[in-house]
Amino acid sequence: MSGPILAVSNLGVELQRAGKTRRVVDDVGFALAPGEVLGLVGEAGSGKSVLARALVRAISSPLEIVSGKVVFEGKDILSADRRELMAIRGNRIGFIGANPMGSLDPRLSIGSQIVEKLRSVKPGIGRAEAREKVLELFGRVRIPSPDARFHEAPFQFSGGMMQRVMIVDALVSDPSLVIADNITQPLDVTVAAQIIRLIDDLRQSLGTAFLFISSSLPVVAQIAERTLVMQRGRIVEEGRTEDIAANPGQAYTRTLISRIPPIWNNVSAPVATEAEAVLKIDNVTRTYRVRRRNTFNGFNAVKAIRGVSFTVKARENFGIVGESGCGKSTLTRLLAWLEQPDSGCIAFLGKDLSQLSSRSLTEFRKSFQLLLQDPYGSLPANMPVQRMIEEPLLIHGVGKAEAARLAQEAMAEVGLSMEFAERLPVGLSAGQRQRINIARALVLKPQLLILDETLSALDQVEQAELLDLFTRLQATHGFSYVFISHDLALVRRMCHRIAVMYLGRIVELADNATLFEHPHHPYTRALLSAMPTLEDNRFPRSRYLLDGEPPSPIELPSGCSFRSRCPRAQGDCQRIDPPLLVIDGGNAAACLHMHEALTEKETADVE
Amino acid sequence: MTDIVRENAVPPAAVKRGATPTQRMLQIAFARSDFRIGLIGFGLLVGLAILLPLVSSIDPVKIAYSSKLLPPFPAEGWKWPYLLGTDQLGRDVLMRCLVGLRYSLLIGVTTVVLMFIVGCSLGLYAGFRGGWADAVIMRLTDAQLSIPMIILAITILGVSRPTVPAIILVLGLSGWPLYARVARSVALGERNRGYVLGERVLGASDLRIMLLFVAPVVLPPIAFVAVLDIARMMIFESILGFLGLGVQPPTPTFGNVIADARKYLLNAWWIATMPGLFMLVSLTCLNLMGSALERARNAVLRGEA
Repeated sequence: MSGPILAVSNLGVELQRAGKTRRVVDDVGFALAPGEVLGLVGEAGSGKSVLARALVRAISSPLEIVSGKVVFEGKDILSADRRELMAIRGNRIGFIGANPMGSLDPRLSIGSQIVEKLRSVKPGIGRAEAREKVLELFGRVRIPSPDARFHEAPFQFSGGMMQRVMIVDALVSDPSLVIADNITQPLDVTVAAQIIRLIDDLRQSLGTAFLFISSSLPVVAQIAERTLVMQRGRIVEEGRTEDIAANPGQAYTRTLISRIPPIWNNVSAPVATEAEAVLKIDNVTRTYRVRRRNTFNGFNAVKAIRGVSFTVKARENFGIVGESGCGKSTLTRLLAWLEQPDSGCIAFLGKDLSQLSSRSLTEFRKSFQLLLQDPYGSLPANMPVQRMIEEPLLIHGVGKAEAARLAQEAMAEVGLSMEFAERLPVGLSAGQRQRINIARALVLKPQLLILDETLSALDQVEQAELLDLFTRLQATHGFSYVFISHDLALVRRMCHRIAVMYLGRIVELADNATLFEHPHHPYTRALLSAMPTLEDNRFPRSRYLLDGEPPSPIELPSGCSFRSRCPRAQGDCQRIDPPLLVIDGGNAAACLHMHEALTEKETADVE
Repeated sequence: MTDIVRENAVPPAAVKRGATPTQRMLQIAFARSDFRIGLIGFGLLVGLAILLPLVSSIDPVKIAYSSKLLPPFPAEGWKWPYLLGTDQLGRDVLMRCLVGLRYSLLIGVTTVVLMFIVGCSLGLYAGFRGGWADAVIMRLTDAQLSIPMIILAITILGVSRPTVPAIILVLGLSGWPLYARVARSVALGERNRGYVLGERVLGASDLRIMLLFVAPVVLPPIAFVAVLDIARMMIFESILGFLGLGVQPPTPTFGNVIADARKYLLNAWWIATMPGLFMLVSLTCLNLMGSALERARNAVLRGEA
């Protein structure tokens, strides 16, 4: 078959609101060959998702398709009648979205829902045949034990597994085109990398074409042969992905690329320095008791944090990275003393927090502050901005007038204009809200700020601005920061020393340069290999990427908890649970075979 | 798609301090005609009940056999100033109804305020604290809910004298668990919200978080529904009066007036009917207001306003 399966020309979509119209998609034209993967990149709000919907005419008021042609397999979708459209949507064109957990009915088993979908778009298929087909695809997307999982409900699946289910859902009717809209966004890096690898395998074996939409060029670059760059509803650049990445033709593309933080090439990694300790965590554990289902009085012990120790020094940025479920959030709550550890000791400025009276603890709280992840939920909705910033001072007994003065100073310092002072937070952007949160912490004159994914809800521009703000505040006030994040690029840019967590334990603790350039633990390497980047990854995926997902923290493997996924697990890993073994320069890794790892790294460099 | 909509939806105009959800609810309610009708009717009745017995020279408990069983205004044989007629002992029915309404309102409103305060503070505490406090308070409410109101009333009012505070106590006791439950369920949801965590980090005490942040979110919606409960409590008050467990004669209340007038239903229907009519009108007005407030609340919570 030759000629494109999808040819779009002069497509325009308008948004009508309050009597005004705005072009959301403007004069878009492109073609997609059979079996090709076409990337579509653009910032949030550039019209990518609207375009994706317009291609299958899934557009409703206030949006309206005003011009253009979408020719799919020789038929114009925009002028097709309802029945023709039904024969194409969900049947010849599959769709995968960014919200896998919300896409299926929570009450029904996933298998039956996909069978039903298949039978509704292809009425000729019998129940048994449809079931066969779904099971076969479950196997192909590597869902373990497909027969059993066929009958499970959506809540029993993790996000990554659910995204595989959605891929099956899109592929089940043998479509010739699949539109994948931001599918890796909600996933952890290693899982996202697995999904991308999976899609790459599938399209090679099935010959399906993909339109792969993402806001991140590195993500698209992993899979797409050609890429479209979209800005304000227009395609501003089109070409082979490598060419676009290497020599972008348009200013907009260049800006996009310049915002991608470098990982290996010309980075000036922050260098760790010696200073007195601010925060000292010593062998801290935290276990939750969760009621076991179907028992009267049974409990499962979820070991969220298992013996974590580290020290944060003055004026230092300390990073903690790991995937979801590794205990980052629990550790955050322990560090902020919102929960107390079961054992071990958290000492701040040399004082063990568990020994403090509640009054001196309240006093102490001023000096370590936590900035939360969600900028929307973390501010009380019906309090004016300035009053919100005064609040911490009022708690600690500062007078009204003094509090107002300090709050206004803080607002100026974090870059909030005074016109916000009397406003409610409604309608403020995520970045402005995080500035309010920073101001609230700032007025207390803390020494340590804990940032729990504080920047992950922000776009690249806002992120960069706030990082500058953090650096400036550190220079003027001498803060120490603890960055808790899943974003390795951010950690690479900001942190002096970094701890990598896996299943409630630190598996590697090293300074920035060592961690990114000569990591010792296989898990660290897997994380780095999964990172989407335009540079040549020093840890090629074919070699380092992990399969599967972390085991449940209820039933940990004996010995080294990483051994169930470790590429170099050996007999002794089953017996010995390695502690953090000191290497040199204060770095440490928890691996019995890390010196073998070192030699393997050298071979990787040669490649 | 959401990105685009959001980008366009950001209102650049300043949001003033005034536009809290509570105020929006009140605005919506005021715009509804059923709320206005209810408010005007209820206001008139309350005004009458408070003012008329003060300015009038007629004593609602003074017996005058000479003018007994006079019919109400349009009927033949009525006499000024007995607009609604007189009862079997020659007392003015209008004045007795108004005094009855006074007691009914006094007891109804005070009981609801009491239930609201006790129920909501216990519920808020239980929901926010969780753990043991929650378990103990909630088992207490369960225990309280399992005792029928009438049995509780007969026990308490039968043993002690049925005075106004005693009646309020009985009604309040039987009503607070509902408030506790609702407040608890909302507080449970708020407890894990980001802003609560944020306040904890800043060092705020639980009491401060509860009173300053959680209560303003939790209480107003419940308060709106509580208006409907005033009507319910007024009915209970007259049931107690009817059973002889309410405020004791000679003080007239809806309940005891109707109970006494039962014997004269056939030849002097107005004695029992007029208090019933007063109750009907005042309860209808209250319910109109209550349901308008509730609809306004739902509209705001659904994000329509």
